Amino acid sequence: MSDKITRRNFLKIAGAGAAISAVLTGCGPMSRYIVRRPYTEMPEYNQTGLNTYYASTCRECAAGCGIIVRTKEGRAITIEGNPQHPLNRGRLCARGITAQQGLYNPDRVFGPIFQARGDTGRQARTTWDEAIPVVSEALKSPAGQIAFLLGTAPDHLFDLVTEWTRSIGAPAPLRYSALASFEGRSTLQEAANRTFGKPALPYFDLANAEVVFSFGANFLETWLSPVSYSAAYGDMRQARPTRRGYLVAFEARQSLTAGNADEWIPIKPGSEGLVALALARLVAEARGEAAPAAARSIDPAAAAEAAGIEPAKLTDLARLFAASEHSLAIPGGGAIGQHEGLAIAQAILQLNVQVNNLGLPGGVYLTNTEQPTTSLAEVYNLVQKMNNSQVKVLFIHGANPVFELPKVLGFEEALAKVPLVISFATFPDETAMLSDYVLPDHSPLESFGYQRMLAAADRPVYSSIQPVVAPLYDTRATADVLLTAAAAAGSPLPYTDEVDFVQQMIVPLISAGGFYTAPEIQTFWSRWLQYGGWWVTEQALDTDISAASERPAAFSGPATLEEDKQFYLVVFPTQLGDGAGANRPWLQEMPDPMTTLTWNTWVEINPETADKLGIHDDDVVRVTTPYGALEASVYRYPAIRPDTIAIPFGQGHTALGRWAEGRGANPAALLPAAVNEAGDLAYNDVVASIALTGKRRPLARVESREGVYGEH
Amino acid sequence: MAEVSKGIAEKWGLVVDQDRCTGCNACVVACSMENNVPFTGEDNVAFGRGTYWIYNKRMWEGNYPEVAPAFQPVMCQQCGSAPCEPVCPTFAAVHSEEEQINLQIYNRCIGTRYCANNCPYHARQFNFEDPNIPEPMNSYLNPDVTVRRRGVMEKCTFCVQRIVAGRQTASAEDRSLRDGEVMPACVAACPSGALVFGDLSDPNSRVSQMAQNERQYKLMDELGTRPKVTYLKGGGRNGG
Repeated sequence: MSDKITRRNFLKIAGAGAAISAVLTGCGPMSRYIVRRPYTEMPEYNQTGLNTYYASTCRECAAGCGIIVRTKEGRAITIEGNPQHPLNRGRLCARGITAQQGLYNPDRVFGPIFQARGDTGRQARTTWDEAIPVVSEALKSPAGQIAFLLGTAPDHLFDLVTEWTRSIGAPAPLRYSALASFEGRSTLQEAANRTFGKPALPYFDLANAEVVFSFGANFLETWLSPVSYSAAYGDMRQARPTRRGYLVAFEARQSLTAGNADEWIPIKPGSEGLVALALARLVAEARGEAAPAAARSIDPAAAAEAAGIEPAKLTDLARLFAASEHSLAIPGGGAIGQHEGLAIAQAILQLNVQVNNLGLPGGVYLTNTEQPTTSLAEVYNLVQKMNNSQVKVLFIHGANPVFELPKVLGFEEALAKVPLVISFATFPDETAMLSDYVLPDHSPLESFGYQRMLAAADRPVYSSIQPVVAPLYDTRATADVLLTAAAAAGSPLPYTDEVDFVQQMIVPLISAGGFYTAPEIQTFWSRWLQYGGWWVTEQALDTDISAASERPAAFSGPATLEEDKQFYLVVFPTQLGDGAGANRPWLQEMPDPMTTLTWNTWVEINPETADKLGIHDDDVVRVTTPYGALEASVYRYPAIRPDTIAIPFGQGHTALGRWAEGRGANPAALLPAAVNEAGDLAYNDVVASIALTGKRRPLARVESREGVYGEH
Repeated sequence: MAEVSKGIAEKWGLVVDQDRCTGCNACVVACSMENNVPFTGEDNVAFGRGTYWIYNKRMWEGNYPEVAPAFQPVMCQQCGSAPCEPVCPTFAAVHSEEEQINLQIYNRCIGTRYCANNCPYHARQFNFEDPNIPEPMNSYLNPDVTVRRRGVMEKCTFCVQRIVAGRQTASAEDRSLRDGEVMPACVAACPSGALVFGDLSDPNSRVSQMAQNERQYKLMDELGTRPKVTYLKGGGRNGG
């Protein structure tokens, strides 16, 4: 028995097996029809004690970062960034990392429910056999009376629904997320259209810039694609051996991005346009050029005064911007989410034109991607139609409009006038509670699909989504439900199921010059799943970018306030995103970076103002705007203008499970229904008043490691 | 690519570039998900009982309007001469010979909290309660890491389970560990690339090179704790 395998050799072979299994697999739960089995019959690629890795795409926001999920014995254990993915290059933010807390959340919808609009007496579990005919009947309604409201992810469902609505002549699906409102995506795209003559989202090459002016762009937190912008920020600071990038942030409340800036210029909300024009004029002067037409009539000193800053500061900054070879101005959501937002965005983009950084390293490019959201103005039209009883059936997927939309818009009331509301929510959120049926989709980690509209991708990317675990509950892919129901309703699409649809959609990619190809779709498909998508190896940004004709702009400037009675109100998004993150306990427990607060809503107020008004930390105040009111505890925040208050978005849920419900307050109650010229929410020029309620409720802050409840 | 030759003791270290760090707290969450750190809820956080193996120290500098936060991610500094070790009556706080890091043996710990009391970095976290992770959320718990119960002290381990797994993979492939092959959860997540991890015993590793940077300093070095975490000062115009 000399050829007997020794124990040592056996261990070596077993170890080699372990090493091989760390290679990403292209198959596993990807097999199309998932069968749930006891773990005594372990599925292929699932060996007890060994890891199996799957590449997929994060669906926690619209950015579309690539992820690698480590699974063990069929459970999703760890989520990390996909190192190959051109967007996030292996990095990931807190929201992506906690996606398993959504998958394994005990408060998910376990199967199809006749929800009966929250009437608990009539609520009943139903079956898919009963539910699909309901969807099918609904799809038979007159085409003009069917409406779809989708979220910003996933893109494949949007493509499928678009194709179906087009085939029967129904209105195109709308896409909405509160985050898109805070980002001002529609405004950004329309401003690029007017400035450069092309309707594309601009790409800001932060990594190679030397002097960056950010106007209310919180790109380190949530704006457009925070992970890729954070990576670019790190490179801007330290990737070049001799030059360190310099960041200046113009905004009334210091966001995390402004906190990391070298200079924070606290200008009044509403003065961004004036400041941009004044800078345009001063930059032209510093460069010895004629001032742009729009800026000729502006008086920089008066603009600085209107913005509440020193005129000399503005001159210094303009010189800095004019002198650098790689200057970059970024119009962010805070600046452009205002009444005059579109003109403000144009004025800021114009600064880039002035320093000739278009299509150059450290400057502005145009992306090749579409803008994934419809503007809020179109959602308003839908609400109008709902109110006029012109919508017979409303399908909702991936969005929670009852929570996210400004309360004054009356979505909840309009919803009551729709005879049939079908929600595909995975969680019992506010909107699902007011629906007739909840037909739960798989959670993102159990789904197929793709994301293709990546706002910060520098090349064409299709990012693939695949199940990393077998579905836990009696859920069904919404695409499959719609395909089956559409076929039964007599308006079929030529796809057998969701996977067939995705495969047919990616067929053109086989010959599109990506970093891999295959002779036929099945081989291509397994690589598509293995790599986490498809993209090209070379950067492919639109460098053919030039300024179109420029038009004069005039800004009305910030609103006048009654001192110490009225305040500018800043509502800002946090790690909870559009509010869907509120049921992830670790996102709740993660301290807010600037305040270190957890698990609640707070009102930020400058300590100087608070002293004048006799407000202490943790005092509960009532904040009132012309549109509504809320109560929350005060956090005395040193980095905010004395005439401004700020409230984070994402808490104040009345549903969504145990960790989200009944916690904090929803600032959607304070926001107007007004939109700017591009159709984005004008949320950042609201004036609010505050009053003490006499109550006190301590906020759980981490900055005091001894706790805030006092002696105990 | 720098390689560590076999047989030489490892000396794992971490560099935190504060000029890259944005304070976003992705590291905090990544660490907690990897190491089964329990979420404790609002009241416990307010009592100062929140459990964070790595936390971001945010210190305000200056007065309005020239005010700005300074972010400093603080985790166990894996001291070469650790103040927590000699005070433990049950030898639960020990030094590992192989990785040269400071580990907590959970089943020895009787919860005297002497170690936390003696740690100048607030790096040690005490479990005041059993973790409350309802079914099926416990499904994502990492099987490579123990779930700690009430009355036990815990702390950052430099993700020792990943170091061990990396070493095993390398040994199965009959090679040495490559620089950058092992990354703790915080380093893997960090969106801005502020955290760099590696073997300090290899002078050519990226972490050794970065630790020589002129911006480097160590946290409370004057106490003689010999930390293995090096910070690079932020805000300067010095190259990285």
